[in-house]
Amino acid sequence: MQHEFRYNGEVYDVLLERTPKIWTYANHCAHPREDGRIRIYFEDGTKAWAHVAKVGDVWWVHHSGRIYTMERIEAGASSDEHHGGLVAPMPGVVLEVLVTAGDAVEAGQTLMILEAMKMEHRIVASANGIVTAVHFNPNDRVEQGANLLEVEDSE
Amino acid sequence: MIQRVLVANRGEIACRILRACREAGVSSVAIYAENDRNGMFRELADESVLLEGDTIAATYLNGSAIIQAAKETGADAIHPGFGFLSERAEFAQAVMDAGLIWIGPSPQAIEQMGDKMSARQIMKAAGVPVIPGVEIEEEDEQLAMEAIQAAAKETGYPLLLKATAGGGGKGMRVVHAPDALESGAQSARREALAAFGDGRVYVEKLLMKSKHVEVQVLADTHGRCIHLGERECSVQRRHQKVFEEAPCSTMTPTLRERMGQAAVAAAKAVDYVGAGTVEFLLAEDESFYFLEMNTRIQVEHPVTEMITGVDLVREQLRIADGQPMAVEELNIRGHSIEVRLYAEDATNNFLPAIGPLAVFRPPTGPGIRLDTGVREGDDVTPHYDPMLAKLIVFAPTRNEALQRMRRALDEFVVLGTTTNIGFLRDLCDVPAVISGDTYTSMLDDLYPDGYQFTPPQDHLDVALMTAAVAETTGMHRTTATRQHGSSDVASPFQTLNRRYP
Repeated sequence: MQHEFRYNGEVYDVLLERTPKIWTYANHCAHPREDGRIRIYFEDGTKAWAHVAKVGDVWWVHHSGRIYTMERIEAGASSDEHHGGLVAPMPGVVLEVLVTAGDAVEAGQTLMILEAMKMEHRIVASANGIVTAVHFNPNDRVEQGANLLEVEDSE
Repeated sequence: MIQRVLVANRGEIACRILRACREAGVSSVAIYAENDRNGMFRELADESVLLEGDTIAATYLNGSAIIQAAKETGADAIHPGFGFLSERAEFAQAVMDAGLIWIGPSPQAIEQMGDKMSARQIMKAAGVPVIPGVEIEEEDEQLAMEAIQAAAKETGYPLLLKATAGGGGKGMRVVHAPDALESGAQSARREALAAFGDGRVYVEKLLMKSKHVEVQVLADTHGRCIHLGERECSVQRRHQKVFEEAPCSTMTPTLRERMGQAAVAAAKAVDYVGAGTVEFLLAEDESFYFLEMNTRIQVEHPVTEMITGVDLVREQLRIADGQPMAVEELNIRGHSIEVRLYAEDATNNFLPAIGPLAVFRPPTGPGIRLDTGVREGDDVTPHYDPMLAKLIVFAPTRNEALQRMRRALDEFVVLGTTTNIGFLRDLCDVPAVISGDTYTSMLDDLYPDGYQFTPPQDHLDVALMTAAVAETTGMHRTTATRQHGSSDVASPFQTLNRRYP
């Protein structure tokens, strides 16, 4: 069985091997239980429990006191993640717009200030570039994931 | 006699107070906004009243609607919890004017302590030490900025800008050098204005490597005013406490008595009644300075309850009822630590997170207490504070309490919403936390470029294996569908539908 997951921005290819009831990967073993948990046997002989739940396309995994979010990449799915837009990290209200279309901006420059959960959040340019569009004005409400403004990278 | 208490709050603290009412044999009323319809706190009340409206101004901050709800449900007392209306003197007054019992100090005491400038004057007069600093009275942007510049010259750097009307880290900025003063001041004033409707700020000298130590006080209407020892809350980020303990790791009996007496003097200076907290900065040379008094129950009150055996909320009810407090002589034993579980991404500048609590399985066992307002299946929404729970441990010694906290955090499973559990777990291994060498700016020094977590390769492999096995064998124990692009603000972003294998 082969699966592709994205964790922390990196894509991992996982090829599972199977013996009756036990799955193995990278010399570790897993034995799924009826109650939704998975018994883990580490290569070094230690054991642990893993808890899993799927939310959307993401598998949330808890083991050894840590949470891992593994986004499953469907076989053949195209990747359309990067488009130069700057998105709202959470729902909120635009407090200030510090740039207008046509402005040259530097990496790290604050472009917009949002207020969400009673805190200020700065929307910062990730690279040097030119602002090509600003989609919101001060006091506008924005949804999580809304494209706030577009910056075209200048090489 | 108080017969029926309306709890003017929501979430975790509403649950805490409603449970205390149940234990005391007093009936209770909850209030809720539409987006809290499924809130756990509603279920703990004998009755609940919907406050209509889409904003907190129309609901949890709507004093007249809350008093109306109390009248209609036959409540004879109002407990404000913390946050929301808990430190609004005019609300306390309105409650009393309506013939209801206000479970808290007098409106005068709230007002005197609520304004940092008047509090400072009163403390000075009462002989309680205060930090050198300057009040900025100017409302006008230009004049205020000039006054701040002048004040900064007087106090020197680093300095702290604080909202006069503030609390909870809102409208607060640390400025290390003159060139950052203007932007820091603008930002502090703007945040203060947005949060409190009052843009006035206060400039004070920032004491480096100092501890945040606060003293719990309790005063009844029979002339008794006592302190219940201290809590240390030095581990903070953006002035938001994340790790709290009692007693303070470096406390001595002599210093406790000095700080306790100062706290009692502070409370007496405003004729305080009920439970309150006097916050101090404790410098390395054991000098301490009054920061502010919180005229309400505090988030971190459980650690004091654990080491003193006093139920602070029960005492609040008793005192408001006109009875003498039922507290014996102060007897501190053991050590207690509380961590605040937030729905936030510690590896991304602590950005608040939302999502479903697809799995929420808290730790159990000896010495563990969980104060929460959520349960499995709830949604974490952006409408309110992202604090999910307070995990409190109690053990005979500080070292054992830390060991217990590590174990408890390792057992805590929350899936579906990003939380700071991993960050809190790492904190328990920080040498300064282990030694008790904590100070208020330590997290900035510890993680100058932000907190990061890199899993060991074998753990990452196991996580990948687990996800792959779960996918292959169809272990979709809990599935939530995410509705992208939904414009319905009031509805949660996820709906849960469950299938058990």
